Amino acid sequence: MLKVTNLHATVDGKEILRGINLEVKAGEVHAIMGPNGSGKSTFASVLAGNEKFTVTEGSVEFLGEDLLDLSIEDRARKGLFLGFQYPVEIPGVTMANFMKLAVNEQRKYRGEEPLTAAEYLKLMREKAKVVELDTKMTSRAVNEGFSGGEKKKNEIFQMAMLDPKLAILDETDSGLDIDALRVVATGVTKLHTAENATVVITHYQRLLDYIVPDYVHVLYKGRIIYSGDRSLALKLEKEGYDWLINDLKE
Amino acid sequence: MTIYEYIESIKEQPACLGGVLRFEGTNDQVQVLDGANKRITLAADARCKLLVVHRTAQNVSMEVELGERAVLTMAVLYPENGVGAEGKVQVVQQEASRLQMTALQLASSTLQVEVDLVARDAESVVNALFAIGAEEQSRLSIRTNHRSSDCRSSSVVRGLAGGKAVGAFDGMVYVAPDAQRTDAFQQNRNMLLSETARIDTKPQLEIYADDVKCSHGATVGQMDNEAIYYMRQRGLDEQQARRLQLTGFADDLVMRCGCEQLCELLMEELNHKLDRI
Repeated sequence: MLKVTNLHATVDGKEILRGINLEVKAGEVHAIMGPNGSGKSTFASVLAGNEKFTVTEGSVEFLGEDLLDLSIEDRARKGLFLGFQYPVEIPGVTMANFMKLAVNEQRKYRGEEPLTAAEYLKLMREKAKVVELDTKMTSRAVNEGFSGGEKKKNEIFQMAMLDPKLAILDETDSGLDIDALRVVATGVTKLHTAENATVVITHYQRLLDYIVPDYVHVLYKGRIIYSGDRSLALKLEKEGYDWLINDLKE
Repeated sequence: MTIYEYIESIKEQPACLGGVLRFEGTNDQVQVLDGANKRITLAADARCKLLVVHRTAQNVSMEVELGERAVLTMAVLYPENGVGAEGKVQVVQQEASRLQMTALQLASSTLQVEVDLVARDAESVVNALFAIGAEEQSRLSIRTNHRSSDCRSSSVVRGLAGGKAVGAFDGMVYVAPDAQRTDAFQQNRNMLLSETARIDTKPQLEIYADDVKCSHGATVGQMDNEAIYYMRQRGLDEQQARRLQLTGFADDLVMRCGCEQLCELLMEELNHKLDRI
C-alpha cells in the first residue's frame, strides 16, 4: 500500500528526514516511536503533503502511484488520512458542514454520487458512535473551544467518516486522559480492517496496549534505526532509547 | 430568491409620502425601501422589519425614531453592483425600544450609523460587514451614544478586503456622565485576502460615567494557512477551503440579523460576493 524509499526532506534548508525506508501493507498496523525531534511529525506531514517541507530525495509509492506527485487534497481523496497532533480550529464552520463537503468531495473523486441529507445524517450518527462522540458536537465550529480530548476524538470521528485506506495518526494520544485515550484507541481499532492500514506515531507504549502494532519502528535523527515487533515498544518503555542510540555510535 | 425577485414579488410597497413613514402595530412582512432620504417613525409598541437597498450612487440620509418599546429589525444593503453610495442612518431610541440593524457593504460605499439611546432600558444591536475586492473602497462608522442610564449596546463589525481594496472602520461608544449601568460592547475583526489590500480600524470608547461595563477590541488578520492545509487534508481543494474560511468568517454575523427572511436575502447577496472576492 505504502512504500517509502530513501526519503529525505528539509524545512528552511535544514534536513530533517535523512533517508527513511518503510513499507506498509494492507491490514497492517505500524507504530513509529522515537525521541523528541527525531522527525516523526515531519514524516507524517511530508506524507500528507504539507508545503512547509521540501522533499529532496527518495520516493513514496501509495497504492501504486507516485504520492509525491499528488496535491494535498488528491492524497486525501485517494485515501490517505492524517490525524493531526494539533487539530486546527476553523471558526464559524460547523463540523457537520465541513465533513459533508469533505465526504462528498471524496465521493466525487471516486465517481460516486454525493450523499443526500438523510444519508449523510445517518452516516454521521453511525460514525459518531465509534468514538462515543455526542452528535451535538457536530453543530459546533470545527475544533473551536474543544477540549484536548474532544479534538482527538474529533480526529478519529473524521477518520471514521472518510474511511481512509491509510491512516497516519500523529501523536493522537498526546494530551489525553486515560478514559479519552481508551475511547480514541478503541475507535481506531474498530476502524481497522484487512483492507486498510494504520501508522501510529507515539511517544508512549500506553497507546499500543489498545492499538496493537504488527511492527514498531524507531525513528532517530531522520532515519529508522531499528524495527521490531510489539515487544520492542515494551522494551523502549522500560529502557528508553539510549541502548539503541549507543549501539548506533559504536 | 434574490433581493430583486423579492422586491418584484411584493405587491404593496409601504406608503411613503414625501419620504415620511410611520409604522404602528406589528408588521411582519419585510418592507423594502430604496436608498432615498427618509424619516421613519415607529410608534410606541410598533414592530417592523425593513430592508434598505442602496442601488445608486447618491447621498442618502435616514432619520429613524423608535418609540417606547418599539422593535425595529433593519438591514442596510449596498449590493455588489451598486456604486459609491453614501448613506447616513441616524436612530433615536426611546425607553425599552430595541434596534437590530445589520449592514452589508458589498461594493464601494460609505455608511455612517449613529444611534442615540435617550431613555432607559433601550437596546441597540448594530452588526456590520464589508466585503470588498479589486479597487473598491468602503468606509463605515458606527457611533453609539449612551445618553441615558441602563441601556445596552452591542456592535460587531467584520471586514474582508481582497485585491487592492481599502476598508476603514471607525467605531465610537460614547457614555454620557449620567448614563450609569451602561453595558456596551464593540468588536471589530478584519481579514485581508491579499498583500495589497488594506483595512484601517479605529475602535474608540469615550466614557464619562463611572458605573459602566464597556469592552472593545479590534484585530486584523489573514487567511489561516494551517486551516487551509487541514481542510485540504480532508479532501477539499484550495479554493473550497479558502471559501469555507470566508463563509465561517462572515456567515454568522448575517445569520444573526433577527429575521429569517432577511437572513436568506442577505446571505444570497453575500455568497455571490464571496464567490468573487
